Amino acid sequence: MSHGPIHHPSHDILLCHAAGRLSAGSALVVATHLAVCPHCRAVTRMGEGVGGVLLLEEAPANMAPDALDRALARLDMPATTPRPASAVPELGPGLPMPRPLHDVVHGPWRWVAPGISRIRLDLAGAIPGERVYLLRVAPGSTLPEHGHRGQELTCVLAGRFRDSTGTYAQGDVAEMDAGHEHQPIAEPGEACISLIVTQGRLRMHGLLARVLQPLLGV
Amino acid sequence: MNENARATWTQVDSRTKEMTADAVPPGSHRAVPLDDDAVLLLAIATRRDRQAFRVLFARFAPRLKSWFMRAGTPSDRAEDLAQETMLAVWRRSDSYDPARAGVATWIFTIARNQRIDALRRLARPLPDSEDPSFAPPEPVAPDAAFGAFQDEQRILAALAQLSPEQAEVIRLAFYEDRPHAEIERTLGIPLGTVKSRLRLAMVRLRAHLAEPQHEGRRA
Repeated sequence: MSHGPIHHPSHDILLCHAAGRLSAGSALVVATHLAVCPHCRAVTRMGEGVGGVLLLEEAPANMAPDALDRALARLDMPATTPRPASAVPELGPGLPMPRPLHDVVHGPWRWVAPGISRIRLDLAGAIPGERVYLLRVAPGSTLPEHGHRGQELTCVLAGRFRDSTGTYAQGDVAEMDAGHEHQPIAEPGEACISLIVTQGRLRMHGLLARVLQPLLGV
Repeated sequence: MNENARATWTQVDSRTKEMTADAVPPGSHRAVPLDDDAVLLLAIATRRDRQAFRVLFARFAPRLKSWFMRAGTPSDRAEDLAQETMLAVWRRSDSYDPARAGVATWIFTIARNQRIDALRRLARPLPDSEDPSFAPPEPVAPDAAFGAFQDEQRILAALAQLSPEQAEVIRLAFYEDRPHAEIERTLGIPLGTVKSRLRLAMVRLRAHLAEPQHEGRRA
């Protein structure tokens, strides 16, 4: 594939990622996108450069008198041993798990509706109201139309989906702000697997969708 | 297309392993003019130079403490985090690549991750010391124009060319936990305006950095 993703997180999200100010779930989605997007890595590095400049601009604080001595005394202490590299987990047969997800995806796919299954991620430091999950949607299946009370960020890991805003393939990020409504459809071919983070509960439309909502846990 | 796209993620994985394994790519030092901080850091990396560490500690530890405090950490804890950051600078010095980041930027990213780890331990006692999601693989961008993004002097100059409002939203993004909502409150402007102002500020920053340089690089 000569081109990278074509749908990117907005620059304000990349800046907040560089600043370390995104929620755990949003940061995971952005990191997954960065793993395959040199363009956004460069923008993020620019943000980190801003962080470096801000650090240089800080007025020095008073350190404890023995601060340097304490640091020097610790230099030769052995560092904690690095964790052994484990085998690369898979999202599905022949489909490697993106690196940022290696240690945070546990548990099997759980059925939530015909053609739809989910793995919920339990992230350390997730903020209240934030839900992070992998969603697998069978080719041609449609998610219930829904709106958002908070931001929703999605990164496609396999397959494709489309909604009124465009078609999203592997590595693409869909950014939905509060107030947006959409009805994603998995494109024919292979199952569409996405990493999704939502803030605030979704607003489901229609009776079926509202019945499904507790199952989806969104 | 999907077969190819899958290969992309796999390739990034293997490239990342390479970068971690032989931390500093051969020859990369020669490609970039080194400032004083980079010389010190490379002295630590190549010969465990304690005197170089003393100088870097004197320069950065007090600023790190200030930065942690501005980011909302109490003074005692900020001092501990500054210590931890400098210790990580010593231990990971061999992964510093002057072709990819200025020293202050590199130290900033370590401090940023220290802060995130500390917040996570507070939020939940489960250990998760090195979540890879906060250390995305960073292969060097193929586009040469992005080289300017590593140069802190140029970033400083580019920041100075932003309007005061744009510079303000960028700064606030670094110091608030819920950046957009807090900026909305602090500056009294609607959320949509915060986002669009940040986006515009970033676009202008990139444009300034992409301009050809008129002077030599930093000494």
